[in-house]
Amino acid sequence: MILTSFTFIIFCIVSLLIYFIIPKKWQWIALLGSSLFFLFYKNFNIGTLVHILVAFGAAYFSAIFIDEYAHQKQAKWFLIEGILFILGQLMLLKYLNLFQNFLMSPIGISYYSLIMISYIVDVYRGLCKPQKNPLKCALFMFYFPILTSGPFIRYPDLENKIYAKHKFNYDNLCRGLIRIVWGLFKILVISQRLAIFVNNIYQNYLTYTGLYLIITCLFFTLQLYTNFSGSIDIIMGISKIMGIDLPENFRSPFFSKTITELWRNWHITLGAWLKDYIFYPLMKSNFIQKIGAKTKKIVNKKVSKKVTLYISLLIMWILIGAWHGIESKFIIGSGILQFIYMFLEDLLSPITKKVCKKLKINYNSLGYRIYQCIRTYLLFSFSMIFFRAASIPNALSIIKNIFIFKKGFLTNIFSLGLNKANFVVLIISVIVLFIVEYRQLKGDVTESLLKQNVVIRWTILYLLIFAVLIFGMYGPGYDETIFIYQQF
Amino acid sequence: MKKVRNAIIFIIIFLIIFQLINNVLSIKPNAIHNFYKEPKNSFDVVYIGASNAYQHFNSVLAYHEYGFTTGLMSSDTQPIQILKYMLKEAQKRQKPKVYVIDLGHLYYFENNKVGGIHKVIDEMPFSFNKLAITKKLLESSNINKKDYINYYFNFLMYHSSWKTALNNLKNNNLYKGYLLEKYNTKIDSQEKLPWDYEVSSLNQIQEAALQETIDYIKEQNLEVLFTVPIKTYDQTFMGYINAAMRMIEENNLKIINFNTIDELEIDFSHDLYDYEHLNVWGATKYTRYFAKYLHENYDLKDHRQDKKYISWSKEYDRFTKSLKELIGESIDEI
Repeated sequence: MILTSFTFIIFCIVSLLIYFIIPKKWQWIALLGSSLFFLFYKNFNIGTLVHILVAFGAAYFSAIFIDEYAHQKQAKWFLIEGILFILGQLMLLKYLNLFQNFLMSPIGISYYSLIMISYIVDVYRGLCKPQKNPLKCALFMFYFPILTSGPFIRYPDLENKIYAKHKFNYDNLCRGLIRIVWGLFKILVISQRLAIFVNNIYQNYLTYTGLYLIITCLFFTLQLYTNFSGSIDIIMGISKIMGIDLPENFRSPFFSKTITELWRNWHITLGAWLKDYIFYPLMKSNFIQKIGAKTKKIVNKKVSKKVTLYISLLIMWILIGAWHGIESKFIIGSGILQFIYMFLEDLLSPITKKVCKKLKINYNSLGYRIYQCIRTYLLFSFSMIFFRAASIPNALSIIKNIFIFKKGFLTNIFSLGLNKANFVVLIISVIVLFIVEYRQLKGDVTESLLKQNVVIRWTILYLLIFAVLIFGMYGPGYDETIFIYQQF
Repeated sequence: MKKVRNAIIFIIIFLIIFQLINNVLSIKPNAIHNFYKEPKNSFDVVYIGASNAYQHFNSVLAYHEYGFTTGLMSSDTQPIQILKYMLKEAQKRQKPKVYVIDLGHLYYFENNKVGGIHKVIDEMPFSFNKLAITKKLLESSNINKKDYINYYFNFLMYHSSWKTALNNLKNNNLYKGYLLEKYNTKIDSQEKLPWDYEVSSLNQIQEAALQETIDYIKEQNLEVLFTVPIKTYDQTFMGYINAAMRMIEENNLKIINFNTIDELEIDFSHDLYDYEHLNVWGATKYTRYFAKYLHENYDLKDHRQDKKYISWSKEYDRFTKSLKELIGESIDEI
């Protein structure tokens, strides 16, 4: 079910109506019903059902047994078994595609698999008690809004919200709807527009060189962000209406001064998940400890610490890349390259500071900060060439062609799917986006909008709604929006 | 309570703006658009049909010559299946002395195109009858069922046509429904085939739809005149028309086949702009003849001295001016 489709709108309206009409003690059951409907929509067959039951069973029973054998050796075994089981099904279905002829991988498999792992690890760590009611446990794992594009939720954070009785709240409805409309603006007005241009060039990448390719690469980063963060806005908005607050997944990432900072603000819940469940355990693992001990003998303590840190980071980044897909383009684009950036940032940071001091550049000036943000955007966009291209050789060919400049300055830019009028709409929309993102850094924009007087508030809301309705790219003649992160 | 009140006001304002924008964006000036623009009960004649109706019958010329008003409920490729419902739709707004039904409908009973469907329904206010018309139109097409929603909510189709809509507002080439464009001032020499094909047959869809319409006309006791449009006919279409004429006559309803009336003096080598449409010269001949017939056979009021109908005179003046610009001739010279 596509997030911007008519089916999804109807599904949400019906789900919300049922949620608030039925007695509050049954609300979580209604939510489970909606979630299962969403999970199996147009993908119900025995194979999928068996797979989901097996994955769920592995997580559910592992957590129960881990709790039962808490602080005993067996708990660890149940933990390992559970993780291997969940990862195994994820690998078989999603990455190796072993059953592709008769079993489609269910929607959200990459999301609910990691959520299941975090659940059993949290039980093992004693951060929460297992949910003994299997239906309630299933609701947490298959909560429908997060099945499309996340964010990654954790049981200790959500258990008090997801099963709680929620009264219909007008303020939640307003906040939720504003968030949904903002998400639709990002997706339908900006992302879809950019997609037309980007897809056109990527499909014929051999035809274009120089500025065309540079613009395309810069556009794709924006397309990816508006697509992904827009879908998260819709998800958060729907959840908010039900009174369930989900963790934020983005925090104005394009105002980041470094790649490290960008990743603290981009897909935040995945980064946090990997840190808590991969990076820290890895740092404490025997393997890394042994490396640390060995390097200490060769270099000093500080360098040795750095070595273990970098090895753990490299493994984590390879896994982030692999989470998107086990193709090498993902492992390089959203994995290894990000690691290299961070490694270089860390390495070069003291030198940059020294150079700035010598050249008397104010490190904290607005101009320098803008330069840093632009540099970060450019570096990130460069890595996204690998992410977007069909393969590594394609990406390399695009990079090579970027440096070829032909005569004429963007002579046929308006014939690549977006005419002049569409470019104007795009530019204005992106300016609005950046203003809102900047304002977001200082506090919640929705809250400050709701504090405005009624004329300003309603004018802004009407402008936003009608911008989506008129300038949004939907309906006949447009492909249904492909949600980039829905495929992971 | 205050919150509920605010929410209701917000929604009402939203719906008003939405409707206004939708009206502007979906403006595809055509005869049906004009039909709904005119005041209720202001037409003496309602003319229902496919493209032949709005391209052949010049309503402002008829007004200029005889003073009666004609509402053209006409659009491209209207299929026969919606005829009864179009009559119903016209009845909701108008009480004409006579309904003219152009049998060009018979040709379009299947494979209806996207544009043809939109032209019928886009300007129509919401009603159950409109839903019925939409359903019939979709059934007469090859459109995928999953796309049906675009026809029930036309905003999905037109929201992105803001640039075209702005142009449409500027260029008005309709004169109370009659279309005058560069293309219908062209001449396409055609050969007129003699109306000598005796075989008559309608397929099941055509027959059922025509019978349904005839039954409705009788039930409502409507004054209806069927017409056969002037165009080049192949034998299949001639067969349809022959069968339809027989059915209509058997039911004691009136029908005129303009293809067999020589007094009209339609010159097929000059008066058509393609094989099935009269150009402005042909349309003028046809209108003069048919308007006279209507004037003589039905008790139609002459509104030319009535100030309420001043817009008809103004539209006629605008038409003559445009005609002069397009062909360099005045209407009197045709």
